[in-house]
Amino acid sequence: MEFETIYKTYWDRIFRLCMGFVNDYDVAQDLAQETFIIVWQKLDTFRNESGIGTWIFRIASNNCLRQIEKEKRFPKSELPPHITEEKQYSLEPEIKFLYKCIAELPETERIIISLELEDVKQADIAKIVGLSEANIRVKIHRIKDKLTQKFTENG
Amino acid sequence: MDNNIEFKDLWRKQSISQPNIDDLQTKLKHFKKTSLRKLILTNVLLIATCFFIVFIWYYYEPQFISTKIGIVLNVAIMAIYLVVYNRLFDAYKKMDDTDSNTEYLKKLIQIKTKQKFLQSKMLSVYFIVLGIGLCLYMYEYTAMMTLFWGFFAYALIILWGGFVWLYLRPREIKKENLKIDNLIDKFQRINDQLEADL
Repeated sequence: MEFETIYKTYWDRIFRLCMGFVNDYDVAQDLAQETFIIVWQKLDTFRNESGIGTWIFRIASNNCLRQIEKEKRFPKSELPPHITEEKQYSLEPEIKFLYKCIAELPETERIIISLELEDVKQADIAKIVGLSEANIRVKIHRIKDKLTQKFTENG
Repeated sequence: MDNNIEFKDLWRKQSISQPNIDDLQTKLKHFKKTSLRKLILTNVLLIATCFFIVFIWYYYEPQFISTKIGIVLNVAIMAIYLVVYNRLFDAYKKMDDTDSNTEYLKKLIQIKTKQKFLQSKMLSVYFIVLGIGLCLYMYEYTAMMTLFWGFFAYALIILWGGFVWLYLRPREIKKENLKIDNLIDKFQRINDQLEADL
């Protein structure tokens, strides 16, 4: 598959996954770009064992996990104020709240629920995360309960 | 209560701006250039140290074998240090990004643990060899001094060595280990999230 096609097809989905992980527009944008740099580097090693989607989501989620290492390197408070300044995106508060809630979950749950909301099949989520399908099903159920509870509390 | 559809709906409404593919291409080119530059720089550094050793050897024509051994030891340990660090960095870069999260996390923890071990061991070996090298190197020149100044020179070196060994080395190792321990802890914690309820 052509890199350009992959980029155009998957950018939005990868961006949302990263956004669910960090809930910071600029960081998510960087993470998504890094993901595509890795995809571009590794594209010739891709063998059709798993679908291209599963393959890309694996790269993206692993890259999100690696983000933890970078967090330490650039603590936000040390950045000049204009960089951390929150941009004004005209989003419904509910959308913001959903992303905020997801980003507050434990790291692996963020990945699992983001993939679920992206309509990735549970069997594929299991392959991306490396757990059994049954386990993923249980986890998704619990995460959704958590989110529902947060939404109910928030009114 | 099933809020599935509502969540999916909200999830997709996130505003997204897809950067132009040309921007990404520029980044890719830049990325390629910097990795190549790094590779060249490492090799230039290694070759330069080799030339340096040869230059000192020929230019100053040391008479004593101890001086020669001293020079070789010092330069060799610097080169080894450089190589070990680069290899560690490579192992890190060569991690398979297409593994499942579980595998990936396990490998990250493994590499970090190895890095911790290498860093503390390597730093100690580095200081020991550098110290021995320096003492051997100095011998030829102190032998030309009076006994007093010879002792004085060695006393200074030993004092400095003691300071490095007893103060700087543990401090540096502690600092590095703290950083790595923090990371290993975090990765381990995430890994535990996956293993819970299995």
